[in-house]
Amino acid sequence: MSLEERELEVLIGPQHPASGHMRMIAKIDGDIVVELRPNIGYVHRSVEKLAEAKKFLQIIPLVERPSLADTTANNLAYVMALEKLLGLEAPPRAQYLRTLLAEINRIHSHLYGLGIHGVMIGSSTAYMWCFGDREPFIELAQELTGARLSYSYIIPGGVRRELPSRFTEKVEKALRYMENRMKDYFNLYLNNPVTRARLEGVGVLSKEDAIRLGVAGPNLRASGVPYDVRKVEPYAAYPDIDFDIITEKVGDAFARVMVRVKEIQESIRIIRQVLKKMPEGPILHEKYIKAISPKMREYMKETGEVKFPGIFANLRIPAGEAISRVEGGRGEVIFHIISDGKMSPYRMRMVTPSFRNVILFEHLNRGVRVADIPAIYGSLDYFPPEADR
Amino acid sequence: MWVANLDKAAKKAAAWLINKTPIRNIRDWGIAFSLWPVHFTTSCCGAEFAAAVAPKFDAERFGFLPFIGIRQCNVLFIEGTLSKKMGEAAKWVYEQMPEPKFVVAMGACGIDGGIFWNSYNIVRPKDILPVSVFVPGCPPRPEGIAQAIIMLQRKIRKGELVKYEF
Repeated sequence: MSLEERELEVLIGPQHPASGHMRMIAKIDGDIVVELRPNIGYVHRSVEKLAEAKKFLQIIPLVERPSLADTTANNLAYVMALEKLLGLEAPPRAQYLRTLLAEINRIHSHLYGLGIHGVMIGSSTAYMWCFGDREPFIELAQELTGARLSYSYIIPGGVRRELPSRFTEKVEKALRYMENRMKDYFNLYLNNPVTRARLEGVGVLSKEDAIRLGVAGPNLRASGVPYDVRKVEPYAAYPDIDFDIITEKVGDAFARVMVRVKEIQESIRIIRQVLKKMPEGPILHEKYIKAISPKMREYMKETGEVKFPGIFANLRIPAGEAISRVEGGRGEVIFHIISDGKMSPYRMRMVTPSFRNVILFEHLNRGVRVADIPAIYGSLDYFPPEADR
Repeated sequence: MWVANLDKAAKKAAAWLINKTPIRNIRDWGIAFSLWPVHFTTSCCGAEFAAAVAPKFDAERFGFLPFIGIRQCNVLFIEGTLSKKMGEAAKWVYEQMPEPKFVVAMGACGIDGGIFWNSYNIVRPKDILPVSVFVPGCPPRPEGIAQAIIMLQRKIRKGELVKYEF
């Protein structure tokens, strides 16, 4: 290599130490990254196109797959759009159950992000702890819905199952455990000088840039923009619940991690309120309860499991357009459904937070050191299947 | 001439010896407990794969620990759907791994496309790689991954998968 050609092109991935199904093409000059271009599309599975060939209820599991660690947000956003087209609203108890699952999901999704970030900056302890502490919340969700990650819990007009017996106590136990563990996290991982040195002042995203680039979710709030769909456009049971929008001022990698950690604490607060305020009543819209046969209605009362009415098999959605927004673990999920009155949507568009955040790879990794790439990558909590859909 | 043949003869003798019962058993036992999967996340099943390695399910007790360098690994886990772009990468990764090597396909997508069976952008892992064990489920539970590891170990110890030829 001659002296003029100082820049070297390095291909990182798609098989690389960090978890992630993408390639990054970095141009480096010595130890400084001149330019980093993300090469996405490794997990493009054509979810939007497949939705056009599936029935409306079959699409629920389909839209969950792209963001497997944070399925409730996609499920809720999709069903909310359907409900707007159907012109019905779920009963209050169902709204509270949706909020409960969404917050349990937010906690374990954030722990997933923190754990993967720990692996990327070389702290195996953080990975082991986060993934170990994720299990109680996955088990809570499993008891409520029957699945570990892909819940499909939210259906048009309500939810699929009633609260199991003694669930409140189990949730309280898990929440108290997590609160105690939080102290350990601060002592051993977050206030660790090594972690601080790796993360503080790395990949700083200014407030103006965050707004200009259209960044979503915790990454936006870490730059000091108090934007949360749960407050801006409240849905489910969020209007009745008292919670704060977590923001940080600095906008560096450490701030992004801290936003997630504090959001876990805020979610714990929300879950307690939800369980306290949960009203009694049906969990499915009365229009659909009427459509279920009396024998099945009795079964529903006994077991607390919703039997799908026959009209769900060939659910026809009135023609029209609907947009719904939901704040998921990684940020704002938007669903846009165009229906032409048939059994499948004419077009379904999903805008995922990871896709909106992928621009940060190029923006933040300019002029940083090579060792900072994983620290920045991990702090974005980027989930490639979600971005590629 | 005689010296050159000695080299060949030594290799043949080694192959004969390593495929002979007591040594072969020890060899297969050793391989069965040193499975090193590549850290190659192809799709969303990676979330459950990570949970399988984490404390609660702890796949490390089977001698199973995801590792970074492809050239020190011997198991390739296809974690879910394989898109066309990722399929090429999976082939490169497989070709770089040293012998003996094994492929495990995870999830319904790894078997026959699963929920994405009619997508225009996926390939079936069995079409491009020699898969030894399939794990059903969408996504499979971490226990399913433990089961897959045990099945793979049994297959190795039966002597079905590992063959040394010189």
